Amino acid sequence: MSKRVRLCREDDIPDFCAQGFDPERHGFDTIFVVRQDRYYYAYADVCPHYGDTSLPWKKDEYLDAAGDNIVCAAHGALFNIRSGLCTSGPCKGESLRPIPVNCEADGYLWITLED
Amino acid sequence: MNIIGPDLLVFGVDDVDACRQFASDYGLTASGDHRFVALDGTGIEIRSKDDDALPAALETGSMLRKTLYGVADQATVDAIAAELEKDRDVTRFDDGSIESKDDHGFVLGFQVTVRQVLDMPAETINAPGAPAQRGVNQIAVSKEDSPKPRTLSHVVYFVPDAPKQEAFYRDRLGFVTTDRFTHVGPFMRPAGTQDHHTVFFIQTPPHMKGIEHFTFHMGGPTDVVTAGTNMVNKGYQSFWGPGRHIFGSNWFWYFKSPFGCNMEFDADMDLHDEQWAAREAMPGADNSQVFLLQYREKWAPMGPPPPKAGA
Ligand code: FES
Ligand SMILES: [Fe+2]
Repeated sequence: MSKRVRLCREDDIPDFCAQGFDPERHGFDTIFVVRQDRYYYAYADVCPHYGDTSLPWKKDEYLDAAGDNIVCAAHGALFNIRSGLCTSGPCKGESLRPIPVNCEADGYLWITLED
Repeated sequence: MNIIGPDLLVFGVDDVDACRQFASDYGLTASGDHRFVALDGTGIEIRSKDDDALPAALETGSMLRKTLYGVADQATVDAIAAELEKDRDVTRFDDGSIESKDDHGFVLGFQVTVRQVLDMPAETINAPGAPAQRGVNQIAVSKEDSPKPRTLSHVVYFVPDAPKQEAFYRDRLGFVTTDRFTHVGPFMRPAGTQDHHTVFFIQTPPHMKGIEHFTFHMGGPTDVVTAGTNMVNKGYQSFWGPGRHIFGSNWFWYFKSPFGCNMEFDADMDLHDEQWAAREAMPGADNSQVFLLQYREKWAPMGPPPPKAGA
């Protein structure tokens, strides 16, 4: 079964920024979305290095200073924003788990979660 | 080789402002243009990754650019220079310090140590059967405590050949192995300290080479947990801890950081001398800690306030 969850308004995420979300109310962010202009990329907030720890050093700190890469703060792994592929660091060659995300006509971002 | 321990870690970072803020919130004090120091003067140097003053980065892009060791005296610096010059380049600087590389290309420096001798009490406890460490009417804690790191403690490195690394630090620099995890690598201390370890090397594939974490000694377990709680309250995210390790017995709490590695608080590490026989254990969760706790927001066993009279 999959379910659709409304995350936020499209413009709630500033351009070239990332934001974490807690759609299943765990009390901590479990997914994050990166915005690049009109494009949105969503991933599970889990670093492939150990497979069960989250990426940012502070809420919403998922990108490097230039906004060019997703970063795991624990050991500095870098991930391509569009593909989720780790290009440098401990999990080089592995990928973040993508989450389907859509901008709907209602102006909101929706994700699809599998359970 | 009377090497005491790390005096300074030099970083070339992606986001200087974030790292400066993090270092300050961690409890280090700004010193000069680039440094943040603990109470005894040991610390870290934060520069932008393209700063020309930095040694070249490792091919993996690890943000740690140099580990600068403090040693007892200039004669020790000179002896290390003479030893390393047998098979590698050694640069001598005007301030008397030297720079070279270990067998994995990590840049090492050696200088007469800058660490000041601290004269301050350890965290105190009162226990039945033992003399009270805190006298009558002396209280231990307050909500406002913000303990400061005392001294740079240890650095953990991912290395592609841990046995080679252990041999270099043992044979060329006089480090001693205090304990080891099988197939992972050794905990080592230099001859000038009794601390269980100032380095731990973790065997990994070559593309991981770099720093795994670094940490400063705090005044005791309460300081570790208080400092960590203050970090959580400022929005920083825990990676592992609080807990207590088995090898070294040190309390730990690791935080993810903008330095591209974890930054730890630690306290109350075992001391060893040449009488100690290194132990060996299989790696894994069970042998990594005696216990592991997890932060939770402040809570108390209380319901909501009682309804007002007449309401
Ligand atoms: S846990 Fe993400 S790089 Fe190590
Ligand atoms: Fe540590």
